Amino acid sequence: MRTTAALLLSLLLTTFAPPAARAAQNGMTNNQIASVLQPSASPLVTFRVLFLTGSASDPKGKEGVASLTAAMLAEAGSRALPYDQIVAQMYPMAAGFGWQADKEMTVFTGTTHVDNLEKYYSLIRDMLLDPGFREDDFTRLKTNAVTFLKVQLREANDEELGKEYLYNVIYAGHPYEHHSVGRISSLEKLTLADVRDFYAKNYTRSNMVLGLAGGYPADFPARVQSDFAKLPAGAARAREKFAAPRVPAGMRIDIVKRETRATAMSLGFPIPVTRGHKDWPALALVASYLGQHRNSASHLYQRLREARGLNYGDYAYVEYFPRGMFQFTPDPNLGRSSQIFQIWIRPVEPQNAHFTLRAALFEFDKLLREGMKQQDFEGAREFLTKYGNVLTSTQSAQLGYALDSRFYGTPEFNSYMRESLAKLTLADVNRAIKQHLSADNMRVVLITKDAEALRDAILKGTPSPITYNSEKPADLLAEDKIIQTYKINVRPAQVAVVPVERVFQ
Amino acid sequence: MKTWLVLTLLLSVPLMGMAQQTGQRKIFPYKYTTDDLPNGLRLVTVPTDYPNLVALYIVVTAGSRNEVEAGKSGFAHFFEHMMFRGSENFTPEQREEIFKRAGAETNAYTTDDRTVYHATFSKEDLDQIMRAEADRFLRLKYTPAQFKTEAKAVKGEYDKNSANPFSKIREVLRETAFKRHTYAHTTMGYLKDIEDMPNQFDYSQQFFRRFYRPEYTTIVLVGDVTRDAALDMTKRYWGEWKRGDYKADIPEEPAQGEARTAQIEWASPTLPHVAVAFHAPRYADDSRELAALDLFESITFGENSELFQRLVLKEQKVDLLDTGFGHQMDPELFTVYARVKDPSDVGYVRDQILKNFERYKTELIPQERLDATRSRMRYGFAMRMNSNSAIAAAIAPYIALKRTPETLNDLFETYQRVTPEDIREAAKKYFREESRTVVTLATKGQKLASNGAGKEGNGR
Repeated sequence: MRTTAALLLSLLLTTFAPPAARAAQNGMTNNQIASVLQPSASPLVTFRVLFLTGSASDPKGKEGVASLTAAMLAEAGSRALPYDQIVAQMYPMAAGFGWQADKEMTVFTGTTHVDNLEKYYSLIRDMLLDPGFREDDFTRLKTNAVTFLKVQLREANDEELGKEYLYNVIYAGHPYEHHSVGRISSLEKLTLADVRDFYAKNYTRSNMVLGLAGGYPADFPARVQSDFAKLPAGAARAREKFAAPRVPAGMRIDIVKRETRATAMSLGFPIPVTRGHKDWPALALVASYLGQHRNSASHLYQRLREARGLNYGDYAYVEYFPRGMFQFTPDPNLGRSSQIFQIWIRPVEPQNAHFTLRAALFEFDKLLREGMKQQDFEGAREFLTKYGNVLTSTQSAQLGYALDSRFYGTPEFNSYMRESLAKLTLADVNRAIKQHLSADNMRVVLITKDAEALRDAILKGTPSPITYNSEKPADLLAEDKIIQTYKINVRPAQVAVVPVERVFQ
Repeated sequence: MKTWLVLTLLLSVPLMGMAQQTGQRKIFPYKYTTDDLPNGLRLVTVPTDYPNLVALYIVVTAGSRNEVEAGKSGFAHFFEHMMFRGSENFTPEQREEIFKRAGAETNAYTTDDRTVYHATFSKEDLDQIMRAEADRFLRLKYTPAQFKTEAKAVKGEYDKNSANPFSKIREVLRETAFKRHTYAHTTMGYLKDIEDMPNQFDYSQQFFRRFYRPEYTTIVLVGDVTRDAALDMTKRYWGEWKRGDYKADIPEEPAQGEARTAQIEWASPTLPHVAVAFHAPRYADDSRELAALDLFESITFGENSELFQRLVLKEQKVDLLDTGFGHQMDPELFTVYARVKDPSDVGYVRDQILKNFERYKTELIPQERLDATRSRMRYGFAMRMNSNSAIAAAIAPYIALKRTPETLNDLFETYQRVTPEDIREAAKKYFREESRTVVTLATKGQKLASNGAGKEGNGR
């Protein structure tokens, strides 16, 4: 065994370029294609091929074309090979080619063993540079997109439905308004010509950032850059930045009506803070304290679930985090120039919906009023300082975060967080809360069966007392007394019942 | 650097031509140690060179399979929740504070066969986390009020899952295919039992005394950790745990004897779903049968299969074709799920799935397909082990089955020995009409085309 290990080690040293040679590549530029390179001795090579375009660039009436174009590159044939043959060739390598199209970023991801690098690369190179754009692939992927919105989100997942519809509501009239996958009515009208057109205009050298990590040969990045030089140059312009949405003053509540057992809730409002903003670490800390994703130590979780048993969990965010019901950590490469502050209340029993909404608003108002306390601040800071290691524990995540750092103009994520958090004070955090967070323009999305009854109760301010199946401490019951009549400050015209058929339509 | 070496060792096999039965490197290449305490507790330590972090997985070999009493479905999962409700020396708040200050990602899950408590955190916090974890396993303490409150959170979990048709399909499939064995109910449990959970405080303490015992438990530590440190902490904090003597009497499932079907009416609009299932064997790596069925699953229903490419890519009648076949302690189901785009195609799709099962009872899988699939499984598994927590998560199911990561090496070696004839024989043995269950789900009032192959009967 040791002999074999030594043999392989020597193989390693000859196969992989020495560190000095690899480090030099980082400064290499070629044919105007930007790159983020993370060479290492890993036998795996990770690709993140990023294009700075996405659904915010969907032309009006063509909502969904950015996402469908990405699907047509990653889940369809190249000109040389139909898709079933690509699947067959990737199959023994256990390789795949993933894609994610968001508002301003579209990323293609894949990992292969370095032994298979040439074969794998030649497949994905042709998929990205020489797509087949076949009619049957187009029909399949367009149907998938419509099914995703119509069946998977609207009809099978109230939690993601609520979270995604909240973005639709907040970004009304903004390029971010529609779901990144599209709008059903637009998707149904899209043609292959729309996809070709989007590809030609957006898949340009100026939009591309090549992300590579792992044990690729020293000359590999230059080869990729030279291959991708065949993409059109694209306008040499600064990246388009999307302004914050203009949200009319006052709270608004949209109640999506559909046949379902429970009531899902999402609340939020736009914030002028993204990862590069000086107050981002402070707000990230606030969100972690209030509702770190899938973490039982956070405040909302403790008050709503642990103390009262209202639901399965309650969380808060300062960045878009799709598919949160399936994963513990967010996917990288969802960079946006506008973000929202969001509270996600997992489904509650309908009879407790009014109370729970009041409780969430009560807790949020309390945070605004009282700020954070020293002990909570220190706990959240220590958590986040160490949690960066968890977020970036794989080669693919490290590369993803590095691409995001480039997008936001921030240093390497872990050191950025560690250093920012070390300098942060409680006073900074409480000032950031006062400056950036407010309940005034809160948008609320509820998903429930008896939407009209809930609307009426909210508008009338009907008390919503709660009963428990066990004894509760006196201080909790006293707090419940306040919550059960807590005023939800919303005008009648701003509470709407939305039939689910209209969502994403 | 050593991490990469391990990966290199693991993956430096020729891509194709893997039919040779010797010379394969072990799929689990990490050097690990196994230490047994006198009380029956086992510690498996897997040092890696992924720095700074440690993944702690505590595997309890009890899940919904152990729920033998009527009215107690879902209890193992509920009990998993109760394990976060405090212990003699740590209130829930103190416990949360420790994990928070460790920057930990922590949670737990329950399946048919096991309950796994997992946390990934900075290495310097290992000692106090081991202490807090031991306290809840040895000295769990919660009040009836906490118990009742947590029962409501479990109901919330049921409710959040209930929007998805697959939750219902699995529930109905299980209760249709199983009549005696506890696999008849899902891990989540029946709604009526979940609603009764607040009344089961005394039973919960009995459950704890039965299964939260050292002989049911294995501690897995993966990452920036040494065996000496891990063993020292384990002895110190877990050494006084008392062995138990309970064994659940899990009834055997009699042979099914007739084809069964069930239909589910879904209250809201959905695409129709169809599930086709057969009773299949329990986990075993000392024969080639289960390994043959694993290979069959990928080769004949996977994305590179003729059926997948036809139904999903060419005819485009199905937008989702998936399989479910786990490595379980007792014989469970081999299931194929399809979501059909047009209700009038449900009968056709079901028949195509049935024909595919029939086809490979006589037709031999080509050797190159078998080799390509073995290659895929090997690369796929190896590439998945890309962090401490991923390694721990990958071995946890096999720890539950046989208490050693070696199980994985045995299984992958068995894959290497499977022949096309083995696959044909396994298909013949298991995919028989009389052990088949077909479940369909469609929007209430929607007529599904039925053209014969699935016998009607036992309708719901």
